[in-house]
Amino acid sequence: MALLTVESVTCGYGDMQVLTDVSIAVESGEIVSIIGPNGAGKSTLMKAVFGQLHPWSGSIAFDGREISRKEPYEIVETGMCYVPQVANVFTELTVDENLDMGAFVLPDRDLSRRKQKIFELFPRLAERRRQKAGKMSGGERQMVAMGSALMLDPKMILLDEPSAGLAPKMVDLIFDRILTINATGLAIMMVEQNAKQSLQMSHRGYVMANGENRVEGTGKELLDDPDVARLYLGG
Amino acid sequence: MAQAQDTNTGAPTLGPRPGERLKAVLQTRTALAIVIALFFVLLVVAGVAQGATAGRLLSLFVWGIMLGGVIGLGGIGLTLVYGVLKFPNFSHGALTTLGAYIAFSAVSYLPKSEPIGPFSFGWELVAGLAIAMPLVGLVSIGVDRVMYRRLRFQGSSLVLFAMASLAMAFFLRSVIYLIWGSDFRFYYEGRSNPALDLPLGLRVQADQIFILLLAFGLVMAVYLLLEKTKMGKAMRATANNPELAQVRGINTEKVIAYTWMMSGALAAAGGVMYGLASQLRPEMGFWLLLPMFAAVIMGSIGNPRGALVGAIVIGVAQQVSTAAINPAYGPGVAFFLMVLTLLVRPQGLFGEGS
Repeated sequence: MALLTVESVTCGYGDMQVLTDVSIAVESGEIVSIIGPNGAGKSTLMKAVFGQLHPWSGSIAFDGREISRKEPYEIVETGMCYVPQVANVFTELTVDENLDMGAFVLPDRDLSRRKQKIFELFPRLAERRRQKAGKMSGGERQMVAMGSALMLDPKMILLDEPSAGLAPKMVDLIFDRILTINATGLAIMMVEQNAKQSLQMSHRGYVMANGENRVEGTGKELLDDPDVARLYLGG
Repeated sequence: MAQAQDTNTGAPTLGPRPGERLKAVLQTRTALAIVIALFFVLLVVAGVAQGATAGRLLSLFVWGIMLGGVIGLGGIGLTLVYGVLKFPNFSHGALTTLGAYIAFSAVSYLPKSEPIGPFSFGWELVAGLAIAMPLVGLVSIGVDRVMYRRLRFQGSSLVLFAMASLAMAFFLRSVIYLIWGSDFRFYYEGRSNPALDLPLGLRVQADQIFILLLAFGLVMAVYLLLEKTKMGKAMRATANNPELAQVRGINTEKVIAYTWMMSGALAAAGGVMYGLASQLRPEMGFWLLLPMFAAVIMGSIGNPRGALVGAIVIGVAQQVSTAAINPAYGPGVAFFLMVLTLLVRPQGLFGEGS
């Protein structure tokens, strides 16, 4: 059974339906990209998986447990973490405090060992531990956000547009770190505008449009699919 | 007039207009600090003109810091609730009064001990304080459960929250009238607490020193709690970004309950201290509410350290003003400082940007 199973989820905000009958699965240790044009419902799918929105119908199971009725703070304890696209750091808190908050549900004792692991992944953060996250560059903030999510040593991490608004060099660094994290056995589900680059590093991908999932396949299959290329990868 | 208009139209269009630039200079933190300092100079000069001695002014200054401590305990609670829940809690003054009266009941039912050292009160007042603080915290949580939480889950607007808290202020005050009546009360009727003669002509009661030290101790405790403990950090995180707090595994409803507990307990402590320094009246908290809001605004809304600084400025201004004008105008002085802050720098002394 897959680590994450989203089955025929229909969901939206208020009266506005955004997702229609969406089904996806993520196996443990896999990188899965969700691509598609703006307004396809990619971020909404992330929010539904993470309990910020509750599905109108359908089911979401993670690690064998039904989570579609759980709140985000409960889902964290099941071993899934989420890095939102915007406002993903506590701007008024220092880097250290941001990382502490990432491990909020854990007892304090193994905090420093976990922090050390994050600092090995992002040495930049070690230099800036006492700085307020709000005073950092976009790339550094992304590191703080990913670092906080990794503090729990989750089984799976959801990344919403990890490369949005970053300089090309920083995009390469973030993608490189995503591969590093994945190599330790962590499953990754990410939404990306940067579709080509993210499919290249993904095991599988889903193409969404108009709130439905249209095409699925391995990263390579999607890259080679002429329809997908024409419609979503910019030719 | 016509000439002035000519020079205006002739100004280069690059960069901010001269008026804008002047406005930017006048709205800096320094400008606000200078305006407040000038106001103090004015108060002192007025006091001296009315014949106040240096010793009296110094005493007023120290009493002002004490009053500032009381206002600050309320103000910190007010600013914490604003930070986490994003609404001005107009019933905060009533929580102060409630704390004072709960301690009053405790003092009247508990067996009386001898006064402690140079103070006018015995251990029963300390016990009353220890009972009032958590009890008012629990009342605050209870009020949140029956009213604010419901509004929160409905996604109600700020206005509705503010109105609800105003209604709660009147409700709590009526409850206090019902239980304790409308008479003035004293923790210890007729017990004197003579002022100690200290060097430099300073005259301060032992009770006032106690209030000052207690306020200082509580403020330190709040500071350590917010900076060092996990729940404190979670409170700051929730105030900063509630949605992300949930994503990081923080149960924000639990954080809100802690916030109410803390803010209620601090309000109660402030009430007991105020009652000890003067007397208990059902509307005492209502009159403290204005200085509290003034302190919170001056110290930038949502900033506990700022609220404390603002409270001390306002407490001292209120006391020093009594050298020149009738003490009944105290809240007026606080109100004046609030208006000055709103005119010069609405985001307060510690707010970011312009």
